[in-house]
Amino acid sequence: MAEDGTIYYTNGLPVPDTPAPGEEPEFWKETDVVGKRTPRVDAYERVSGTAVYPSDIKLPNMIYGAILRCPHAHAKVKKVDAGRAEKMPGVRALITGDSPEAGGLKWKYRGYSGPLFDAHCRFEGEVVAAVAADTPYQAWDAVHAIDVEYDVLPHVVDHNLALTGKAPEVHDQGNLAGTDEYERGDVAGGFAEADVVLEQNYETGCQLHTPMELHGCVADWEGDRLTIWESSQGVYAVQSVLSGILGMPLSKVRVIGHYMGGGFGSKLWPGKYTVLAALMAKQAARPVKMILTREETFLCVGNRPPNTMRLKAGVKKDGTLTAFDFECIGPSGAYPGGGTEIVDWLVRDLYQCDNVRCLSRDVYIHAGTARPFRAPGHPQGSWALEQMMDDLAEKIGMDPIELRLKNIPSISQGRGIPYTRTGLKDCIERGAERFGWKDAVKRAREQNRSGSHIKRGVGMGACLWIVGGGGPPSTVVIKLFRDGSVNLNMGASDIGTGTKTIMAMVAAEELGVKPDVIQIEHADTGTTQYATPSGGSKTVPTEAPTVRNAAIDVKRQIIQMAAEDLGAPAVDLDYEGSEIVSMKDKSKRIQVTDVSGLKKRGVVIGVGYRGPNPKNKSVNPFAAQFCELEVNTKTGEMKILRFLGAHDSGRVMNRLTYDNQVFGGIVMGIGFGMTEFRQLDANQTGKLCNRNWHDYKLPTALDVPVDMESLPIEIDDPEANNTGAKGLGEPVTIPTASAIANALYMATGIRFTKAPVHPMEMRRRLSAGKEG
Amino acid sequence: MLPQFSYVRPETLKDTVKHLNVPGAAAHAGGTDLIGCLRDGIMQVNKVVSLNALPDLHGIRETADGGLLIGAMTTITEVSESPLVRRKYPGLAQGASEVAGPQLRNQGTIGGNLCQKPRCWYYRGEFNCLRKGGDNCYALDGEHLFHAIFGHDRICVITHPSDTAPPLVALGAKVRIIGPEGKRTIPVANLHVSPADNVRAETVRKQGEVITHIELPRPPENLRSSYRKVRARRSWDFALAGVALALEMDGDRVNKSRVVLSGAAPVPWRSQPVENAISNRRLNAETIEKAARAVVEGADPLPGNMYKLDLFKGLIEEELYTVSRELR
Ligand SMILES: Cc1cc2nc3c(=O)[nH]c(=O)nc-3n(C[C@H](O)[C@H](O)[C@H](O)COP(=O)(O)OP(=O)(O)OC[C@H]3O[C@@H](n4cnc5c(N)ncnc54)[C@H](O)[C@@H]3O)c2cc1C
Ligand code: SF4
Repeated sequence: MAEDGTIYYTNGLPVPDTPAPGEEPEFWKETDVVGKRTPRVDAYERVSGTAVYPSDIKLPNMIYGAILRCPHAHAKVKKVDAGRAEKMPGVRALITGDSPEAGGLKWKYRGYSGPLFDAHCRFEGEVVAAVAADTPYQAWDAVHAIDVEYDVLPHVVDHNLALTGKAPEVHDQGNLAGTDEYERGDVAGGFAEADVVLEQNYETGCQLHTPMELHGCVADWEGDRLTIWESSQGVYAVQSVLSGILGMPLSKVRVIGHYMGGGFGSKLWPGKYTVLAALMAKQAARPVKMILTREETFLCVGNRPPNTMRLKAGVKKDGTLTAFDFECIGPSGAYPGGGTEIVDWLVRDLYQCDNVRCLSRDVYIHAGTARPFRAPGHPQGSWALEQMMDDLAEKIGMDPIELRLKNIPSISQGRGIPYTRTGLKDCIERGAERFGWKDAVKRAREQNRSGSHIKRGVGMGACLWIVGGGGPPSTVVIKLFRDGSVNLNMGASDIGTGTKTIMAMVAAEELGVKPDVIQIEHADTGTTQYATPSGGSKTVPTEAPTVRNAAIDVKRQIIQMAAEDLGAPAVDLDYEGSEIVSMKDKSKRIQVTDVSGLKKRGVVIGVGYRGPNPKNKSVNPFAAQFCELEVNTKTGEMKILRFLGAHDSGRVMNRLTYDNQVFGGIVMGIGFGMTEFRQLDANQTGKLCNRNWHDYKLPTALDVPVDMESLPIEIDDPEANNTGAKGLGEPVTIPTASAIANALYMATGIRFTKAPVHPMEMRRRLSAGKEG
Repeated sequence: MLPQFSYVRPETLKDTVKHLNVPGAAAHAGGTDLIGCLRDGIMQVNKVVSLNALPDLHGIRETADGGLLIGAMTTITEVSESPLVRRKYPGLAQGASEVAGPQLRNQGTIGGNLCQKPRCWYYRGEFNCLRKGGDNCYALDGEHLFHAIFGHDRICVITHPSDTAPPLVALGAKVRIIGPEGKRTIPVANLHVSPADNVRAETVRKQGEVITHIELPRPPENLRSSYRKVRARRSWDFALAGVALALEMDGDRVNKSRVVLSGAAPVPWRSQPVENAISNRRLNAETIEKAARAVVEGADPLPGNMYKLDLFKGLIEEELYTVSRELR
């Protein structure tokens, strides 16, 4: 047990007032812990390798799973013969569509429900059979020994061809997965009013999720209870999917996901692999480890769908936007995956415009199903909208920044309700100032007149993110032990963003204890409370207020107990550092750790719930990013010189992890804008060409600028939630690529409407001229 | 997953050759390419013969006539950082420093670099293409953004992946080979095989043959060598287009030249048209413009890699202007 006093950091300084029961806590004015640069609470474990990720799990008698996947973009399985494989050394479980274990099991994803083993394989990578054996090598040898007869069928993998009528049908009901229409105002009238009307087509590439840790799990049965260690963004989501598919009570499915090596949206749900691991673990009566190979993850765990877009926009000479008409098509993949989901949101919501029409058509193709990818839809929509804004500005002779500032909406037009706060204007204005926009433009123009073949450009893009306010449900439990140390228990996953650290900081702030005496238990459906998956940039705004509420619940109970010790009514008491003090008579005071109720019980348990979001208001993060770059017009090589991200995500909870999100988001945006694209062999086999980290090109350290700056635009937002924090993890990657495109335009005079703009595309367009 | 294979680590060249002189045996130098090939099932290998225990194959030393002898097992990093190489053949040091990324340069060897398999994504993927023993080239009618514009004869359109081979060819280097039939020394320029000659082989090595050393001749007076590489991203990537120059200068005149392209053809591609355009000429704007036009003479681009034409033009122009600026 710790010595008295060493646990508290406050040394008599105030800790936040404890609200009376039933009262909401006040918005923090000043903070002692929250907002500071705080290294991750688990940094040592992560860096030293002692952190145990699902990939590291080793259980006694554990065996290894491997999956046989359909090698064709479109085929029917005629026959599976596993006779040879079954007899191979080490094989302890084998499952195919014919196995009784698979009988009647349905795979469910986003409203789709179909057999776990579907003989009609609609994408390369569909599951055909699975094996578990004593070693991974034996498992793979057995997989290769399974003989499958396929009927190979014609495919369509180009979403632009899916609806032409010439393409084979992915599903019986056709290739249209869904249509989404939106309209407000009078679009035709808006265009009639405009002084300038522009129309342009845009295209973005398919970006693959490539988190450092592969997708996978370990499954283990103890009687009728299943335990899964899954590399996941949300253990409760895994629990609910598995219990649904296997027909088990939630209480019997324990999912643990303490550490995980990234997901970016692709690990919001489990995969068929999770179900197969559970089934084979039962067959073999041994724990099964099923970690996919990198090649498999490139095929079947999701993607940011490619989008083909058309945007028509009208503007008056004074910069008033009069109309947007947006159309978009994109592929869900083989099954519903949100091929065009919220691609149009920025057109609907970002800039003031009364007349807007959007039409999105989501289609099926014979390729892996899309999954949410960091800010789904938004970087694509931004690619169109932000380039169009620059074009409009140029046509009416206005600075692009000025045009944007002229069109800051006062309400969320897509919803018709106000934002709690909008930092859009500040992000653009203060970002531009800090970036030195005017000087940078001047410098670029001068260089471009100099005759050098190295051209320079600066560009910017702004954005908001459709959600990012978080919300209920969430339950957090905080235990205060009799030595003053604290245990924080929450269901949410820390997907590498630093969630645990921020929650420890919130608890520390509220209780006055040092963050490092807080032990966190999290992401375990067996021992922690229900939480939604970490995604949508909602983890901090969801969990942080809940943690705060739980801490306040602890404080209220301690005060109640201290009232007995001090012989003073609880309403007169509050925290002062590590003591409870009577406000009426300051001589009445007692150390928290001396409170007899606490000493007797050994622990006080506080429970916090996430309260509701403000009624009829929208909570959104905003941002603007700025970039400066150079283009070698002889070779097409490009070099990004610097980037600045000005982000309004409400209160900065931890400046260190905040900046990391900004830098990481920019890096990913550079990948989307300049290096990454899924290449399918569309005209021959429909198969994936680039299925490794060399052919699928993520940006390397040398492709991103050393000079990256994060400029927090911190605006108090007490209405958002009791911490004032909004989401950050997704807006950071939304306007990156469009800022690059706008800079490339300044450098070359060419509009790059097709992403990514790699040196091949740059060289092609330099040769083809402006129209290309 | 890797297939099953046996592993030997002979200590003499004689034993090495003996072990390698059976079908299904492969030499293992740094393993950076070999292991990937085995994992992807590109070649059928049942015996891996390590070259690591062989004495004599490591290191760089100066020869009596003022040239260099580089052991085949010398790492790419050693080559790129060697003061000797940097002083005498900066083009080779640059080529080596442009290979892959630091980890691969530390592990990969120069011998392995010359013998590596192509990087065509069909070849490395699950496609039984012509080079792997199948009937057709998928890249020709398929996705060939990164493929060759020269020397492919529309048979197989790989580009040779090595960044050290072009400078070695430009510098007139030779490889020493030992095999079941004894020793031979051939120019690096003759090491690689065009698809028209044999689409299933990348080098002229026969079964059981290993490269032991690379010989560089004494650099001529006023030799100026360099290597410049353009790629889709700035590290860990093969050449979209590259050029190794070995120019013998006399003031601003180019007396003799060797110009070898990477990212261009199934073999390191010597560009005689560029050599002709600059040899015995002053390196002025007119010469450079001619050379840039000459570089694409005889090119046979495919619909998806037309961009390489202007890329090579731009590259030659930029490189030659760099040389001419240095002269001032
Ligand atoms: C991701 C990635 C990126 C890369 N990028 C580049 C690049 O940009 N530029 C570039 O040039 N290279 C690149 N490479 C290739 C890399 O340089 C080679 O893998 C390396 O040089 C091979 O050397 P090694 O010693 O590891 O060869 P190994 O893998 O051991 O051998 C390669 C082949 O050569 C044979 N071999 C090896 N040594 C000898 C010998 N002495 N005699 C006869 N045969 C021999 C082996 O049998 C094998 O077939 C890249 C590789 C990877 C994996
Ligand atoms: S280019 Fe060569 S290696 Fe590639 S698919 Fe064609 S034949 Fe095979």
